[in-house]
Amino acid sequence: MIPPVGQIPPELGLYATIFGVFATIFIYSFLWKENPLSRAVEHLFIGLAAVYTLAAMYEAAATVAYWGTGRIVEGNLIWVIPILISLMYFFFFSKKYFYLYRYPVSIVAGIMAGMMICGMIQSNFLAQIQDTVTLPLVGAGVWEGWPPPGLDSIIIIIGTITALTFFFFTWEHKGPLGVSAKIGRYFLMATFGAAYGGTVMARISLFLGRLTFLYQASYPSPPETPWFWAWYLVPIAVLCVIIVALWERSRPKPPPSATVTAKPAPAEAPPSRPSEEPTPAPETKPATAKPARKRKSEG
Amino acid sequence: MSLPKIARIDRRYLYILLFIFVSFPLFVPLKWPITISQHTQNAYDFTETLPAGSIVIESFDFGPSTITENRPQAKAHIYHAEKLGLKVVALAYWPGGAPIGEAILKTVYGSDFPNIPEYGTSVVYLGYVAGNEVGMQTFGDNTWNAKGTDHYGTAIGTLPLMQQCRSAANFSLWAEWTSGDPGITQVIQFVQGRHGGPSEVPIITGATAVSVPGIMPYYRAGQIFGIMNGLAGAGEYETLLVESTYGYPYMEALALLDAQSVGHLLIIAFVIVGNIGYAISKYRGGKGS
Repeated sequence: MIPPVGQIPPELGLYATIFGVFATIFIYSFLWKENPLSRAVEHLFIGLAAVYTLAAMYEAAATVAYWGTGRIVEGNLIWVIPILISLMYFFFFSKKYFYLYRYPVSIVAGIMAGMMICGMIQSNFLAQIQDTVTLPLVGAGVWEGWPPPGLDSIIIIIGTITALTFFFFTWEHKGPLGVSAKIGRYFLMATFGAAYGGTVMARISLFLGRLTFLYQASYPSPPETPWFWAWYLVPIAVLCVIIVALWERSRPKPPPSATVTAKPAPAEAPPSRPSEEPTPAPETKPATAKPARKRKSEG
Repeated sequence: MSLPKIARIDRRYLYILLFIFVSFPLFVPLKWPITISQHTQNAYDFTETLPAGSIVIESFDFGPSTITENRPQAKAHIYHAEKLGLKVVALAYWPGGAPIGEAILKTVYGSDFPNIPEYGTSVVYLGYVAGNEVGMQTFGDNTWNAKGTDHYGTAIGTLPLMQQCRSAANFSLWAEWTSGDPGITQVIQFVQGRHGGPSEVPIITGATAVSVPGIMPYYRAGQIFGIMNGLAGAGEYETLLVESTYGYPYMEALALLDAQSVGHLLIIAFVIVGNIGYAISKYRGGKGS
């Protein structure tokens, strides 16, 4: 049986903590300036995530189709069909049989389209419209308390109608339609503001998560008496970042032409005439101007 | 330094300020009062109404990047479910959520999990279930078709709890811990929508604060019964547990709420100062920052 993916053996906990401290400091050093350490950890994270996902997918495919109740291992060969269909994805790498790759893609696209249409109409259209048109405006308790539910209803009705008119482009936004669209724009901006507030809240939460790790992670974990704490390594990791930053600063800066990939002039290009004005160099790409000047002097 | 100059300050000084301000409450708790929001209260109350023995699906649909927000939410709810005698079927539709989910279960049910007497009868961990939306729909239609074994290789059909939990008709609650897709939207569309609506498949969710504004319409429409909003929602749920007869020993989010509040106040101050500086420089005829 395939072991579950993603488990860190307890004896590796110390190394995981050490690695976690360095990775955290290195990745946050990006806030100061992009540097080789932040880039290295970023690439490492992407690579590890890809490999982990691959392993998890492989394990999942095995446990969905091969192992377990009513699967291939118990003689139910119908599960061979999805495996064969999924293997057809690999024809992507064959020029001769590339057309076979289209079958699994079309099957998945068809299934998803069918599923999404059914699910979306019920959950995102009908249920939402039904809720909006049945908002309470009159009745017992609708205008009691603060804020009263009726006020909520009125705001939602106005917001829904005006925000919809903002996306109504058949007629020009003038007169009442213009006023409605403008109000709708304010509602949309308030929504984006709420989303931005949520984003700030989420980012600070993540930052707090890393801070907690740096301050509290230990080995071995409580209730055993820890002899190693993650924050021991924080100064060392910060020092590493400073050394790399100083090293990078001391390196000679490459000439501007090397930083911009200029398209080399073709060998058979005719030299420009002496009377011809030099091609004005675009400000953002100084490297493109240099070959032109050289050609003129040669000509 | 004048306000317009402050408005154009190097952002790295702001990062340092944020680091100092946010770190302070971690060492010196401020113990600011916590107000329980209605959607967190609803999630708690609905879980309370479930009779012992009801089957709850706990779905860990998040990755390591949002562990700070989603883990305390899931941990608090699973602890609550365990105290209420609910039967928990846990799974993950995100590959990265599987080991995190297992760690949460080990915290609540003991470090010997899954080698505990109640495994298979009161709690089952299926691990990662492949297929995203299709996997969710398959699980709702027929749980045995979604995966042949649990996370530890035991055939699903041999687990007593999974013999009771055959389709969405057997779910008393779906608790969705989510930070993206597949997540709460897909559960509503492909499980709840196909199996009789909110009354048949009640859903509560704990979502990252970024995604909560997007799922609020589902809450208003009654498709979701309760929401834990990011770390704050987890802290509120922990508060409810602490104030109840169950108690709560982990307190993961509650300890961080002060720091989060301080961070928010600082950012609000940044926004105000920046805008005042921008307005002054514009008033003086400059371009602003």
